[in-house]
Amino acid sequence: MVGKPNMTVDLGGISMRNPVNTASGTFGNGLQFEGFYDVGTTLGAITCKGVAAEPWPGNAAPRLAELPSSMMNSVGLQNPGVHMFVKTYGDYLQSLRARGCAVICQVAGHSIDEYRMALELFDELAPFASGFEINISCPNIAKGGAAMGGTPADAAAVMRAVRPLTDRPLVVKMAPHDVAEIGRALEAEGADALSLINTIPGMAIDVRTRRSKVARPTAGVSGPAIHAIAVRMVWECAQAVSVPICGIGGITSGVDAAEMILAGATAVSVGTANLTDPMAASRVVEELGEWASEQGVKSITELIGAFEC
Amino acid sequence: MSVAVPKTTLSEFVVLDNERIADGLWRLRCNTPLARRLEPGQFVQVEVPNDGSHILRIPLSFAHADAREQTLEIVYAIVGEGTARLARMRPSDRSTMVGPCGNGWKLPQEGGRALLVAGGVGLPPIVACAGLLCDAGVGFDAIVGAQTAGRHCMDYIDELRSMPLHHKCDCARNVIVTTDDGSLGMRGFVTQAMEDMLAEHPYAQVYTCGPNMMMAGVAKLSLARDIACQASLERMMGCGFGACSCCNVLMVDGSNALCCTDGPVFDARRVQW
Repeated sequence: MVGKPNMTVDLGGISMRNPVNTASGTFGNGLQFEGFYDVGTTLGAITCKGVAAEPWPGNAAPRLAELPSSMMNSVGLQNPGVHMFVKTYGDYLQSLRARGCAVICQVAGHSIDEYRMALELFDELAPFASGFEINISCPNIAKGGAAMGGTPADAAAVMRAVRPLTDRPLVVKMAPHDVAEIGRALEAEGADALSLINTIPGMAIDVRTRRSKVARPTAGVSGPAIHAIAVRMVWECAQAVSVPICGIGGITSGVDAAEMILAGATAVSVGTANLTDPMAASRVVEELGEWASEQGVKSITELIGAFEC
Repeated sequence: MSVAVPKTTLSEFVVLDNERIADGLWRLRCNTPLARRLEPGQFVQVEVPNDGSHILRIPLSFAHADAREQTLEIVYAIVGEGTARLARMRPSDRSTMVGPCGNGWKLPQEGGRALLVAGGVGLPPIVACAGLLCDAGVGFDAIVGAQTAGRHCMDYIDELRSMPLHHKCDCARNVIVTTDDGSLGMRGFVTQAMEDMLAEHPYAQVYTCGPNMMMAGVAKLSLARDIACQASLERMMGCGFGACSCCNVLMVDGSNALCCTDGPVFDARRVQW
Protein backbone atom coordinates (compact mmCIF):
# COMPACT_ATOMS: atom_id res chain seq x y z
CA MET A 1 0.00 0.00 0.00
CA VAL A 2 1.52 3.26 -1.12
CA GLY A 3 0.91 6.22 1.22
CA LYS A 4 -0.63 9.48 0.10
CA PRO A 5 1.78 11.51 -2.01
CA ASN A 6 3.46 14.54 -0.54
CA MET A 7 1.65 17.49 -2.12
CA THR A 8 3.90 20.29 -0.90
CA VAL A 9 5.63 22.44 -3.50
CA ASP A 10 8.00 25.39 -3.47
CA LEU A 11 7.02 28.24 -5.75
CA GLY A 12 10.28 30.19 -5.87
CA GLY A 13 10.60 30.37 -2.10
CA ILE A 14 6.88 30.41 -1.39
CA SER A 15 6.19 27.18 0.45
CA MET A 16 2.78 25.71 -0.39
CA ARG A 17 1.08 22.75 1.35
CA ASN A 18 -0.38 21.80 -2.01
CA PRO A 19 0.00 23.26 -5.53
CA VAL A 20 -3.37 25.05 -5.57
CA ASN A 21 -3.37 28.85 -5.63
CA THR A 22 -6.05 31.32 -6.79
CA ALA A 23 -5.78 33.76 -9.68
CA SER A 24 -5.72 37.43 -8.70
CA GLY A 25 -9.03 39.20 -9.24
CA THR A 26 -11.14 36.05 -9.06
CA PHE A 27 -10.96 35.33 -5.35
CA GLY A 28 -11.53 38.70 -3.70
CA ASN A 29 -8.96 38.59 -0.92
CA GLY A 30 -9.91 35.12 0.27
CA LEU A 31 -12.34 36.27 2.94
CA GLN A 32 -15.22 36.28 0.43
CA PHE A 33 -14.90 32.46 0.23
CA GLU A 34 -14.81 31.67 3.95
CA GLY A 35 -18.57 31.00 3.97
CA PHE A 36 -18.01 28.27 1.37
CA TYR A 37 -15.00 26.51 2.92
CA ASP A 38 -12.08 27.05 5.28
CA VAL A 39 -9.68 28.76 2.88
CA GLY A 40 -6.76 28.81 5.32
CA THR A 41 -6.66 25.07 5.97
CA THR A 42 -7.52 24.04 2.40
CA LEU A 43 -5.52 25.94 -0.23
CA GLY A 44 -1.80 26.06 -0.87
CA ALA A 45 -1.90 29.81 -1.45
CA ILE A 46 -4.14 32.67 -2.44
CA THR A 47 -3.17 35.58 -4.65
CA CYS A 48 -4.90 38.78 -3.60
CA LYS A 49 -6.47 41.35 -5.90
CA GLY A 50 -3.90 43.67 -7.52
CA VAL A 51 -3.19 46.75 -5.40
CA ALA A 52 -1.35 49.95 -6.28
CA ALA A 53 0.30 52.53 -4.04
CA GLU A 54 -2.74 54.83 -4.35
CA PRO A 55 -6.43 53.85 -4.85
CA TRP A 56 -7.64 53.24 -8.43
CA PRO A 57 -11.32 53.62 -9.36
CA GLY A 58 -11.19 50.95 -12.10
CA ASN A 59 -13.01 51.11 -15.42
CA ALA A 60 -16.56 52.25 -16.21
CA ALA A 61 -19.50 49.81 -16.45
CA PRO A 62 -20.17 47.40 -18.03
CA ARG A 63 -17.07 45.45 -17.09
CA LEU A 64 -18.32 41.99 -17.92
CA ALA A 65 -19.66 39.97 -20.85
CA GLU A 66 -20.45 36.27 -20.96
CA LEU A 67 -19.07 34.34 -23.94
CA PRO A 68 -19.23 30.66 -24.94
CA SER A 69 -17.35 28.67 -22.24
CA SER A 70 -15.71 31.90 -21.15
CA MET A 71 -16.24 35.47 -20.04
CA MET A 72 -14.48 38.75 -20.64
CA ASN A 73 -13.74 41.35 -18.01
CA SER A 74 -12.56 44.91 -18.01
CA VAL A 75 -12.32 45.70 -14.31
CA GLY A 76 -9.16 47.75 -14.71
CA LEU A 77 -7.63 46.86 -11.34
CA GLN A 78 -10.05 48.77 -9.13
CA ASN A 79 -8.31 48.80 -5.76
CA PRO A 80 -8.22 50.78 -2.50
CA GLY A 81 -4.43 51.38 -2.40
CA VAL A 82 -1.92 49.55 -0.21
CA HIS A 83 -2.72 51.40 3.04
CA MET A 84 -6.46 50.69 2.96
CA PHE A 85 -5.89 47.14 1.69
CA VAL A 86 -3.63 46.33 4.63
CA LYS A 87 -5.96 48.03 7.10
CA THR A 88 -8.97 46.10 5.83
CA TYR A 89 -7.50 42.67 5.14
CA GLY A 90 -4.25 42.52 7.14
CA ASP A 91 -5.64 40.66 10.15
CA TYR A 92 -7.53 38.21 7.95
CA LEU A 93 -4.52 37.49 5.72
CA GLN A 94 -2.36 36.99 8.81
CA SER A 95 -4.91 34.39 9.95
CA LEU A 96 -4.51 32.60 6.60
CA ARG A 97 -0.77 32.33 7.20
CA ALA A 98 -1.43 31.02 10.69
CA ARG A 99 -3.64 28.31 9.15
CA GLY A 100 -0.85 27.29 6.76
CA CYS A 101 -1.97 29.03 3.56
CA ALA A 102 0.58 31.17 1.72
CA VAL A 103 -0.48 34.74 0.88
CA ILE A 104 0.73 36.36 -2.33
CA CYS A 105 0.02 40.08 -2.63
CA GLN A 106 -0.29 41.37 -6.17
CA VAL A 107 1.43 44.64 -7.05
CA ALA A 108 -0.04 46.95 -9.72
CA GLY A 109 1.32 50.09 -11.35
CA HIS A 110 1.08 52.38 -14.37
CA SER A 111 4.83 52.97 -14.52
CA ILE A 112 8.08 51.64 -13.11
CA ASP A 113 7.93 54.29 -10.39
CA GLU A 114 4.43 53.24 -9.39
CA TYR A 115 5.45 49.56 -9.14
CA ARG A 116 8.36 50.65 -7.00
CA MET A 117 6.18 52.75 -4.69
CA ALA A 118 3.60 50.00 -4.30
CA LEU A 119 6.16 47.28 -3.56
CA GLU A 120 8.02 49.48 -1.07
CA LEU A 121 4.76 50.10 0.80
CA PHE A 122 3.83 46.41 0.68
CA ASP A 123 7.23 45.31 1.94
CA GLU A 124 6.91 47.70 4.87
CA LEU A 125 3.22 47.24 5.73
CA ALA A 126 2.43 43.62 4.81
CA PRO A 127 4.34 41.21 7.08
CA PHE A 128 1.66 38.64 6.24
CA ALA A 129 2.76 38.42 2.58
CA SER A 130 4.64 35.21 1.73
CA GLY A 131 5.68 36.85 -1.52
CA PHE A 132 4.58 39.35 -4.14
CA GLU A 133 3.25 38.99 -7.67
CA ILE A 134 4.21 41.81 -10.02
CA ASN A 135 1.36 42.24 -12.53
CA ILE A 136 2.91 43.40 -15.81
CA SER A 137 0.11 41.96 -17.90
CA CYS A 138 -3.27 43.50 -17.10
CA PRO A 139 -4.93 44.03 -20.50
CA ASN A 140 -7.48 46.50 -19.15
CA ILE A 141 -5.57 49.63 -18.24
CA ALA A 142 -4.51 52.35 -20.65
CA LYS A 143 -1.02 52.80 -19.20
CA GLY A 144 1.05 50.18 -17.40
CA GLY A 145 -0.19 46.61 -17.10
CA ALA A 146 0.38 44.71 -20.33
CA ALA A 147 2.14 47.72 -21.82
CA MET A 148 4.82 47.36 -19.14
CA GLY A 149 5.59 43.74 -19.92
CA GLY A 150 5.04 43.58 -23.66
CA THR A 151 8.65 42.94 -24.69
CA PRO A 152 11.54 41.13 -23.01
CA ALA A 153 13.33 44.48 -22.54
CA ASP A 154 10.33 46.21 -20.95
CA ALA A 155 9.59 43.27 -18.66
CA ALA A 156 13.26 43.12 -17.63
CA ALA A 157 13.26 46.85 -16.84
CA VAL A 158 10.35 46.46 -14.38
CA MET A 159 12.00 43.46 -12.76
CA ARG A 160 15.35 45.24 -12.46
CA ALA A 161 13.63 48.17 -10.70
CA VAL A 162 11.65 46.14 -8.17
CA ARG A 163 14.07 43.29 -7.41
CA PRO A 164 16.21 45.23 -4.88
CA LEU A 165 13.15 46.42 -2.92
CA THR A 166 12.31 43.21 -1.08
CA ASP A 167 13.97 40.03 0.13
CA ARG A 168 10.72 38.14 -0.23
CA PRO A 169 9.95 36.02 -3.31
CA LEU A 170 8.83 37.86 -6.45
CA VAL A 171 6.48 36.17 -8.91
CA VAL A 172 5.75 37.91 -12.22
CA LYS A 173 2.29 37.64 -13.83
CA MET A 174 2.84 37.35 -17.57
CA ALA A 175 0.79 38.26 -20.61
CA PRO A 176 -0.23 35.49 -23.05
CA HIS A 177 2.43 36.07 -25.70
CA ASP A 178 6.18 35.49 -26.23
CA VAL A 179 6.28 33.64 -22.93
CA ALA A 180 9.62 31.90 -23.57
CA GLU A 181 11.54 35.08 -24.45
CA ILE A 182 9.91 37.25 -21.78
CA GLY A 183 10.22 34.46 -19.22
CA ARG A 184 13.96 34.20 -19.87
CA ALA A 185 14.38 37.98 -19.52
CA LEU A 186 12.51 37.97 -16.18
CA GLU A 187 14.53 35.05 -14.88
CA ALA A 188 17.76 36.83 -15.77
CA GLU A 189 16.66 39.84 -13.68
CA GLY A 190 15.96 37.75 -10.62
CA ALA A 191 12.30 36.71 -10.82
CA ASP A 192 11.77 33.84 -8.37
CA ALA A 193 8.76 32.42 -10.21
CA LEU A 194 6.49 33.19 -13.18
CA SER A 195 2.70 33.00 -13.31
CA LEU A 196 0.93 32.63 -16.63
CA ILE A 197 -1.27 33.32 -18.38
CA ASN A 198 -3.18 36.51 -17.71
CA THR A 199 -6.47 36.90 -19.63
CA ILE A 200 -6.29 36.96 -23.42
CA PRO A 201 -7.31 40.30 -24.97
CA GLY A 202 -10.51 39.86 -26.96
CA MET A 203 -13.46 41.75 -28.36
CA ALA A 204 -17.23 41.21 -28.21
CA ILE A 205 -19.41 43.54 -30.26
CA ASP A 206 -23.15 44.03 -29.87
CA VAL A 207 -24.01 44.11 -33.57
CA ARG A 208 -27.34 45.83 -32.95
CA THR A 209 -25.81 48.88 -31.27
CA ARG A 210 -22.37 48.42 -32.94
CA ARG A 211 -20.84 48.97 -29.51
CA SER A 212 -18.53 46.84 -27.42
CA LYS A 213 -20.34 44.61 -24.92
CA VAL A 214 -18.04 46.10 -22.26
CA ALA A 215 -17.17 49.75 -21.70
CA ARG A 216 -13.83 49.53 -23.53
CA PRO A 217 -13.25 48.11 -27.03
CA THR A 218 -11.20 45.17 -25.73
CA ALA A 219 -11.26 43.11 -22.56
CA GLY A 220 -9.59 40.03 -21.08
CA VAL A 221 -11.03 36.62 -21.98
CA SER A 222 -10.88 33.89 -19.33
CA GLY A 223 -12.48 30.56 -18.51
CA PRO A 224 -12.47 27.00 -19.87
CA ALA A 225 -12.24 28.21 -23.50
CA ILE A 226 -8.65 29.43 -22.99
CA HIS A 227 -7.36 26.41 -21.06
CA ALA A 228 -5.66 24.64 -23.98
CA ILE A 229 -3.90 27.86 -24.99
CA ALA A 230 -2.68 28.39 -21.44
CA VAL A 231 -1.34 24.81 -21.16
CA ARG A 232 0.61 25.30 -24.39
CA MET A 233 2.14 28.56 -23.12
CA VAL A 234 3.09 27.03 -19.77
CA TRP A 235 4.78 24.20 -21.67
CA GLU A 236 6.70 26.64 -23.91
CA CYS A 237 7.77 28.79 -20.98
CA ALA A 238 8.77 25.83 -18.81
CA GLN A 239 11.20 24.66 -21.49
CA ALA A 240 12.80 28.11 -21.61
CA VAL A 241 13.29 28.84 -17.89
CA SER A 242 14.40 27.02 -14.77
CA VAL A 243 12.39 29.05 -12.22
CA PRO A 244 9.08 27.51 -11.14
CA ILE A 245 5.85 28.39 -12.94
CA CYS A 246 2.34 28.86 -11.62
CA GLY A 247 -0.02 27.71 -14.41
CA ILE A 248 -3.20 29.72 -14.87
CA GLY A 249 -5.98 29.54 -17.45
CA GLY A 250 -9.39 27.91 -17.44
CA ILE A 251 -8.71 25.43 -14.64
CA THR A 252 -12.01 24.03 -13.38
CA SER A 253 -10.98 20.53 -12.25
CA GLY A 254 -8.15 18.39 -10.95
CA VAL A 255 -7.62 17.09 -14.48
CA ASP A 256 -7.11 20.64 -15.78
CA ALA A 257 -4.65 21.31 -12.96
CA ALA A 258 -2.84 18.03 -13.67
CA GLU A 259 -2.40 19.03 -17.33
CA MET A 260 -0.70 22.23 -16.21
CA ILE A 261 1.65 20.34 -13.90
CA LEU A 262 2.55 17.83 -16.61
CA ALA A 263 3.22 20.74 -18.96
CA GLY A 264 5.74 22.09 -16.45
CA ALA A 265 3.86 24.09 -13.80
CA THR A 266 4.91 23.70 -10.17
CA ALA A 267 1.69 25.29 -8.90
CA VAL A 268 -1.67 26.17 -10.47
CA SER A 269 -4.15 28.99 -9.94
CA VAL A 270 -7.89 28.52 -10.15
CA GLY A 271 -9.46 31.68 -11.61
CA THR A 272 -12.80 32.17 -13.34
CA ALA A 273 -14.10 28.86 -11.95
CA ASN A 274 -14.18 30.48 -8.48
CA LEU A 275 -16.89 32.84 -9.68
CA THR A 276 -19.20 30.19 -11.08
CA ASP A 277 -18.48 27.41 -8.59
CA PRO A 278 -17.27 28.94 -5.32
CA MET A 279 -16.10 25.45 -4.22
CA ALA A 280 -13.88 25.07 -7.31
CA ALA A 281 -10.42 25.65 -5.79
CA SER A 282 -11.21 23.38 -2.84
CA ARG A 283 -12.43 20.67 -5.23
CA VAL A 284 -9.28 21.03 -7.38
CA VAL A 285 -7.14 20.37 -4.26
CA GLU A 286 -9.03 17.14 -3.65
CA GLU A 287 -9.04 15.97 -7.27
CA LEU A 288 -5.38 16.81 -7.79
CA GLY A 289 -4.50 14.71 -4.73
CA GLU A 290 -6.50 11.78 -6.14
CA TRP A 291 -4.68 12.07 -9.46
CA ALA A 292 -1.25 12.14 -7.81
CA SER A 293 -2.22 9.03 -5.82
CA GLU A 294 -3.35 7.27 -8.99
CA GLN A 295 -0.03 8.12 -10.59
CA GLY A 296 1.70 6.28 -7.75
CA VAL A 297 4.25 8.99 -6.96
CA LYS A 298 5.74 9.79 -3.55
CA SER A 299 5.66 13.52 -4.29
CA ILE A 300 3.61 15.64 -6.67
CA THR A 301 6.90 17.26 -7.71
CA GLU A 302 7.76 14.08 -9.63
CA LEU A 303 4.96 14.97 -12.03
CA ILE A 304 6.11 18.53 -12.83
CA GLY A 305 6.96 18.60 -16.52
CA ALA A 306 6.36 14.85 -16.79
CA PHE A 307 4.48 15.30 -20.05
CA GLU A 308 5.70 12.71 -22.56
CA CYS A 309 6.09 13.73 -26.15
CA MET B 1 -10.57 47.94 10.76
CA SER B 2 -11.28 44.34 9.96
CA VAL B 3 -14.09 42.84 7.98
CA ALA B 4 -16.65 40.29 9.08
CA VAL B 5 -16.74 36.80 7.61
CA PRO B 6 -19.46 36.72 4.93
CA LYS B 7 -22.44 34.43 5.36
CA THR B 8 -22.70 33.59 1.66
CA THR B 9 -22.84 29.83 1.05
CA LEU B 10 -23.71 27.32 -1.64
CA SER B 11 -27.13 25.65 -1.29
CA GLU B 12 -29.11 23.11 -3.26
CA PHE B 13 -32.61 23.80 -4.49
CA VAL B 14 -35.41 21.62 -5.83
CA VAL B 15 -37.96 23.11 -8.22
CA LEU B 16 -41.55 22.97 -6.93
CA ASP B 17 -43.07 24.74 -9.92
CA ASN B 18 -41.95 27.05 -12.67
CA GLU B 19 -44.61 28.83 -14.68
CA ARG B 20 -45.30 31.82 -16.89
CA ILE B 21 -47.17 34.51 -14.96
CA ALA B 22 -47.21 37.36 -17.51
CA ASP B 23 -45.79 38.12 -20.96
CA GLY B 24 -42.09 37.29 -20.76
CA LEU B 25 -42.23 36.81 -16.97
CA TRP B 26 -41.90 33.52 -15.11
CA ARG B 27 -42.14 32.45 -11.49
CA LEU B 28 -39.95 29.71 -10.06
CA ARG B 29 -40.89 28.33 -6.67
CA CYS B 30 -38.33 26.09 -5.09
CA ASN B 31 -37.39 24.33 -1.92
CA THR B 32 -34.05 25.35 -0.41
CA PRO B 33 -32.55 25.60 3.07
CA LEU B 34 -31.22 28.99 1.97
CA ALA B 35 -34.76 30.40 2.36
CA ARG B 36 -34.19 30.45 6.13
CA ARG B 37 -31.40 32.98 5.81
CA LEU B 38 -32.64 35.44 3.18
CA GLU B 39 -33.75 38.96 3.95
CA PRO B 40 -36.10 41.02 1.74
CA GLY B 41 -34.12 42.79 -0.99
CA GLN B 42 -31.20 40.34 -1.04
CA PHE B 43 -30.63 38.13 -4.09
CA VAL B 44 -29.37 34.67 -5.06
CA GLN B 45 -27.03 33.46 -7.81
CA VAL B 46 -28.69 30.56 -9.59
CA GLU B 47 -26.88 27.86 -11.54
CA VAL B 48 -28.93 26.75 -14.54
CA PRO B 49 -27.92 23.14 -15.19
CA ASN B 50 -27.19 21.25 -18.38
CA ASP B 51 -25.20 23.73 -20.42
CA GLY B 52 -21.53 23.91 -19.58
CA SER B 53 -20.93 26.57 -22.20
CA HIS B 54 -22.79 29.19 -20.13
CA ILE B 55 -20.48 29.49 -17.18
CA LEU B 56 -21.99 32.34 -15.15
CA ARG B 57 -24.75 32.04 -12.60
CA ILE B 58 -27.83 34.25 -12.95
CA PRO B 59 -28.46 36.87 -10.24
CA LEU B 60 -32.16 36.77 -9.29
CA SER B 61 -34.31 38.55 -6.74
CA PHE B 62 -37.25 37.05 -4.92
CA ALA B 63 -40.73 38.06 -3.78
CA HIS B 64 -41.00 35.64 -0.87
CA ALA B 65 -38.61 33.59 1.23
CA ASP B 66 -40.54 31.38 3.65
CA ALA B 67 -38.17 30.33 6.44
CA ARG B 68 -40.57 27.79 7.96
CA GLU B 69 -41.47 26.02 4.71
CA GLN B 70 -37.97 26.63 3.28
CA THR B 71 -39.46 27.85 0.03
CA LEU B 72 -38.31 30.64 -2.21
CA GLU B 73 -40.32 32.44 -4.88
CA ILE B 74 -38.24 33.92 -7.69
CA VAL B 75 -39.68 35.96 -10.56
CA TYR B 76 -37.58 36.48 -13.66
CA ALA B 77 -37.83 37.91 -17.16
CA ILE B 78 -36.60 35.89 -20.11
CA VAL B 79 -33.83 38.13 -21.42
CA GLY B 80 -31.34 35.66 -22.90
CA GLU B 81 -30.38 32.04 -23.29
CA GLY B 82 -29.69 31.54 -19.58
CA THR B 83 -33.13 32.66 -18.43
CA ALA B 84 -34.73 30.79 -21.36
CA ARG B 85 -33.09 27.59 -20.08
CA LEU B 86 -34.14 28.44 -16.52
CA ALA B 87 -37.74 28.54 -17.77
CA ARG B 88 -37.31 24.93 -18.94
CA MET B 89 -36.57 23.63 -15.43
CA ARG B 90 -39.35 21.30 -14.28
CA PRO B 91 -40.73 20.29 -10.85
CA SER B 92 -38.23 18.08 -8.96
CA ASP B 93 -35.28 19.33 -11.09
CA ARG B 94 -32.32 20.21 -8.90
CA SER B 95 -29.53 22.73 -9.02
CA THR B 96 -27.58 25.06 -6.74
CA MET B 97 -27.73 28.68 -5.68
CA VAL B 98 -25.26 30.98 -3.97
CA GLY B 99 -26.61 33.28 -1.28
CA PRO B 100 -27.56 35.26 0.64
CA CYS B 101 -26.07 37.88 -1.70
CA GLY B 102 -25.97 41.60 -0.99
CA ASN B 103 -27.81 43.85 1.42
CA GLY B 104 -31.58 44.07 1.67
CA TRP B 105 -34.05 46.89 2.23
CA LYS B 106 -33.72 48.93 5.40
CA LEU B 107 -36.75 50.10 7.40
CA PRO B 108 -37.36 53.87 7.41
CA GLN B 109 -35.21 55.60 10.00
CA GLU B 110 -38.02 57.86 11.10
CA GLY B 111 -41.64 56.83 11.41
CA GLY B 112 -44.09 57.76 8.70
CA ARG B 113 -45.46 56.31 5.53
CA ALA B 114 -43.51 54.67 2.71
CA LEU B 115 -44.07 54.80 -1.04
CA LEU B 116 -43.10 51.74 -3.10
CA VAL B 117 -42.44 52.23 -6.83
CA ALA B 118 -41.93 49.17 -9.04
CA GLY B 119 -41.41 48.81 -12.78
CA GLY B 120 -41.57 45.57 -14.78
CA VAL B 121 -39.54 42.75 -13.28
CA GLY B 122 -38.60 45.10 -10.42
CA LEU B 123 -41.87 44.12 -8.75
CA PRO B 124 -40.81 40.97 -6.82
CA PRO B 125 -38.23 42.66 -4.56
CA ILE B 126 -40.80 45.41 -3.96
CA VAL B 127 -43.31 42.75 -2.86
CA ALA B 128 -40.61 41.46 -0.49
CA CYS B 129 -40.16 45.03 0.76
CA ALA B 130 -43.91 45.38 1.35
CA GLY B 131 -43.78 42.24 3.50
CA LEU B 132 -40.95 43.72 5.55
CA LEU B 133 -42.90 46.97 6.06
CA CYS B 134 -46.07 45.09 7.04
CA ASP B 135 -44.21 43.05 9.64
CA ALA B 136 -42.75 46.26 11.07
CA GLY B 137 -46.10 48.07 11.05
CA VAL B 138 -45.04 50.67 8.50
CA GLY B 139 -47.90 51.89 6.30
CA PHE B 140 -47.31 52.21 2.58
CA ASP B 141 -48.76 53.05 -0.80
CA ALA B 142 -47.48 51.49 -4.02
CA ILE B 143 -47.17 52.34 -7.70
CA VAL B 144 -46.65 49.44 -10.08
CA GLY B 145 -45.82 50.11 -13.73
CA ALA B 146 -45.38 48.00 -16.85
CA GLN B 147 -45.29 48.62 -20.59
CA THR B 148 -48.66 47.03 -21.18
CA ALA B 149 -51.42 45.11 -19.36
CA GLY B 150 -50.09 41.68 -20.37
CA ARG B 151 -46.78 42.36 -18.63
CA HIS B 152 -48.34 43.03 -15.23
CA CYS B 153 -48.16 40.27 -12.60
CA MET B 154 -51.71 40.54 -11.29
CA ASP B 155 -51.08 38.06 -8.45
CA TYR B 156 -48.56 40.39 -6.88
CA ILE B 157 -50.66 43.50 -7.41
CA ASP B 158 -53.55 41.75 -5.64
CA GLU B 159 -51.16 40.71 -2.91
CA LEU B 160 -49.96 44.27 -2.36
CA ARG B 161 -53.59 45.34 -2.04
CA SER B 162 -54.54 42.61 0.42
CA MET B 163 -51.44 42.14 2.58
CA PRO B 164 -52.50 41.64 6.20
CA LEU B 165 -52.80 45.03 7.77
CA HIS B 166 -50.84 45.42 10.94
CA HIS B 167 -52.53 47.38 13.68
CA LYS B 168 -50.04 50.19 13.26
CA CYS B 169 -50.59 50.33 9.49
CA ASP B 170 -52.62 53.05 7.90
CA CYS B 171 -55.53 51.06 6.53
CA ALA B 172 -56.19 53.31 3.55
CA ARG B 173 -53.63 51.79 1.21
CA ASN B 174 -53.36 52.99 -2.36
CA VAL B 175 -51.97 50.66 -5.01
CA ILE B 176 -51.77 52.49 -8.34
CA VAL B 177 -51.24 50.52 -11.53
CA THR B 178 -49.82 52.20 -14.64
CA THR B 179 -49.12 51.09 -18.20
CA ASP B 180 -47.14 52.97 -20.83
CA ASP B 181 -49.90 52.33 -23.37
CA GLY B 182 -52.90 52.83 -21.10
CA SER B 183 -54.10 49.23 -21.50
CA LEU B 184 -54.47 48.88 -17.73
CA GLY B 185 -54.79 51.44 -14.96
CA MET B 186 -53.34 54.88 -15.41
CA ARG B 187 -51.73 55.67 -18.76
CA GLY B 188 -48.10 56.83 -18.49
CA PHE B 189 -44.97 56.25 -16.48
CA VAL B 190 -44.76 55.50 -12.76
CA THR B 191 -43.07 58.85 -12.22
CA GLN B 192 -46.23 60.68 -13.39
CA ALA B 193 -48.32 58.73 -10.87
CA MET B 194 -45.65 59.37 -8.30
CA GLU B 195 -45.88 63.14 -8.71
CA ASP B 196 -49.61 62.96 -7.95
CA MET B 197 -49.00 60.79 -4.87
CA LEU B 198 -46.25 63.06 -3.56
CA ALA B 199 -48.52 66.07 -3.93
CA GLU B 200 -51.26 64.39 -1.90
CA HIS B 201 -49.39 62.53 0.85
CA PRO B 202 -46.32 63.10 2.99
CA TYR B 203 -43.87 60.17 2.75
CA ALA B 204 -40.90 59.37 4.96
CA GLN B 205 -39.26 56.92 2.56
CA VAL B 206 -39.41 55.80 -1.08
CA TYR B 207 -38.41 52.26 -2.16
CA THR B 208 -37.90 51.55 -5.85
CA CYS B 209 -36.88 48.74 -8.17
CA GLY B 210 -37.17 48.64 -11.96
CA PRO B 211 -35.37 49.80 -15.09
CA ASN B 212 -32.45 52.15 -14.41
CA MET B 213 -34.08 55.09 -16.23
CA MET B 214 -37.23 54.70 -14.16
CA MET B 215 -35.32 54.53 -10.88
CA ALA B 216 -33.32 57.61 -11.86
CA GLY B 217 -36.62 59.48 -12.28
CA VAL B 218 -37.99 58.13 -8.99
CA ALA B 219 -34.79 59.11 -7.19
CA LYS B 220 -34.91 62.62 -8.64
CA LEU B 221 -38.50 63.20 -7.54
CA SER B 222 -37.81 61.83 -4.05
CA LEU B 223 -34.64 63.74 -3.47
CA ALA B 224 -36.13 67.01 -4.76
CA ARG B 225 -38.61 66.72 -1.88
CA ASP B 226 -35.92 65.61 0.55
CA ILE B 227 -37.48 62.17 0.94
CA ALA B 228 -35.04 59.32 1.56
CA CYS B 229 -34.99 56.84 -1.32
CA GLN B 230 -33.65 53.28 -1.46
CA ALA B 231 -33.14 51.82 -4.95
CA SER B 232 -32.39 48.20 -5.82
CA LEU B 233 -30.00 48.13 -8.78
CA GLU B 234 -29.27 45.44 -11.34
CA ARG B 235 -25.94 44.68 -13.01
CA MET B 236 -24.31 41.89 -14.97
CA MET B 237 -22.49 39.89 -12.32
CA GLY B 238 -19.53 37.54 -12.33
CA CYS B 239 -19.75 36.10 -8.83
CA GLY B 240 -22.37 37.93 -6.74
CA PHE B 241 -20.30 37.98 -3.56
CA GLY B 242 -17.42 40.43 -4.01
CA ALA B 243 -14.76 38.23 -5.60
CA CYS B 244 -14.44 39.76 -9.08
CA SER B 245 -15.38 43.50 -8.96
CA CYS B 246 -17.26 43.24 -12.29
CA CYS B 247 -20.60 44.79 -11.19
CA ASN B 248 -19.55 48.36 -10.48
CA VAL B 249 -22.01 51.18 -9.77
CA LEU B 250 -20.70 54.73 -10.15
CA MET B 251 -21.27 56.84 -7.05
CA VAL B 252 -21.65 60.64 -6.96
CA ASP B 253 -18.22 60.95 -5.32
CA GLY B 254 -16.64 59.31 -8.39
CA SER B 255 -15.90 56.02 -6.66
CA ASN B 256 -17.14 52.65 -7.89
CA ALA B 257 -19.25 50.61 -5.49
CA LEU B 258 -19.99 46.95 -6.16
CA CYS B 259 -23.63 46.14 -6.83
CA CYS B 260 -23.27 42.67 -5.27
CA THR B 261 -21.76 43.47 -1.88
CA ASP B 262 -22.38 47.21 -1.44
CA GLY B 263 -25.89 46.87 -2.92
CA PRO B 264 -28.07 45.82 -4.57
CA VAL B 265 -30.07 48.25 -2.41
CA PHE B 266 -28.42 51.66 -2.45
CA ASP B 267 -29.21 55.02 -0.90
CA ALA B 268 -30.33 56.80 -4.09
CA ARG B 269 -28.51 59.98 -3.02
CA ARG B 270 -25.14 58.23 -3.34
CA VAL B 271 -25.72 56.85 -6.85
CA GLN B 272 -24.57 58.77 -9.94
CA TRP B 273 -27.74 58.35 -11.99
